[in-house]
Amino acid sequence: MKINISRQYVYILLLSVSLFLFVIIFSFGILIPKGKLYRESRLELLKENAELRKYQDFHDKTLKQLKELQSKNRHVITAFGTAFSPDRFEKQHKSFFSSLRVSKIARSEDEEGFATYEVNTTSQISSPKNFYNFLDALNKSNWIIGVNFPIDFKRDGEMIKSSFTMKVYTDNKDKNATASESVAK
Amino acid sequence: MKYSYIKPRKKTPITPELQIIFTFFAMTLIMLFLTYAFLLYKDYTFKKERQTTIEQKKELKANIKDMQKQISFIQKQKALAEKVFTQNMVLKDSIANLFDLVPQRITLSHAKLLKNGLILYGITPNKDVYNFMLQAPLRSIFHKTYSSFYPAKNGWLMFVSKNYMDEAQARELDSEN
Repeated sequence: MKINISRQYVYILLLSVSLFLFVIIFSFGILIPKGKLYRESRLELLKENAELRKYQDFHDKTLKQLKELQSKNRHVITAFGTAFSPDRFEKQHKSFFSSLRVSKIARSEDEEGFATYEVNTTSQISSPKNFYNFLDALNKSNWIIGVNFPIDFKRDGEMIKSSFTMKVYTDNKDKNATASESVAK
Repeated sequence: MKYSYIKPRKKTPITPELQIIFTFFAMTLIMLFLTYAFLLYKDYTFKKERQTTIEQKKELKANIKDMQKQISFIQKQKALAEKVFTQNMVLKDSIANLFDLVPQRITLSHAKLLKNGLILYGITPNKDVYNFMLQAPLRSIFHKTYSSFYPAKNGWLMFVSKNYMDEAQARELDSEN
């Protein structure tokens, strides 16, 4: 039996077979592995994005907390950052005393990580009530100041001479180094 | 001499069948390469996006760390400020209590408030007034109380009252403040 196929059909058949083989090899050798990689990359990216969203949420939450803290404690934060000025202190607080003298600003041991400075104060008051008002005002002043023991009250005619040490707390360790003695009357 | 009424067709190797096959081949190959190009492009964009995400995450992490540091620092500042403010208020109350403690008949000339004690200098009409009206309340506060008297010019008695607390109690009060 003789099969009579024209040469043209043989070429077409060969071309079809070679295309088929190319498609198979290209698909299995390149396209399918690349597709798998694409799927993996997409999943990984989705995971990364989900993680990023978590970080973003936590970041926003932390930022909100920080802003709230900053706004609630504005006075404290500013007070810790302000260098102690004896002149300004006296100007602000001399109304409580008949005379006020702030002197000897000296660096003392750091307390809880904050720099502390000791300031000696001598003053004259007409009544202990003035001293109570001074202590009230101290908590609203521009600095974080604690009155320390020993406190000395001595009668001087109609007045009371008082001398005490104050501790100024600051988070700026260099600002107070140049502060000097000052007298206000 | 003509044998046919129609014009003879030109013979070409690209027959209509071949044209159809080539079109099909071309479409197949274009689809294959387009898919491949799409995958390559996506792979590139994913890599780029991932890199950006990682960088953003790194930046956020650093920001969070910085903010947490700031938060803990502010909390530390707040705690210390509150401690100092409370100490001032406690001191104010202590001084107020001290002056309230002194009866009208006794006049103080000098008061020294120490961390663990109190030293008073003053004048009293007699020992009984001092003992009942000043020393008794002082004894209820302090553990050790020492008093000494010497006569004043007007016949009254000048006194020095030294009062001390136990170290442990002083420390306790200090830590409470």
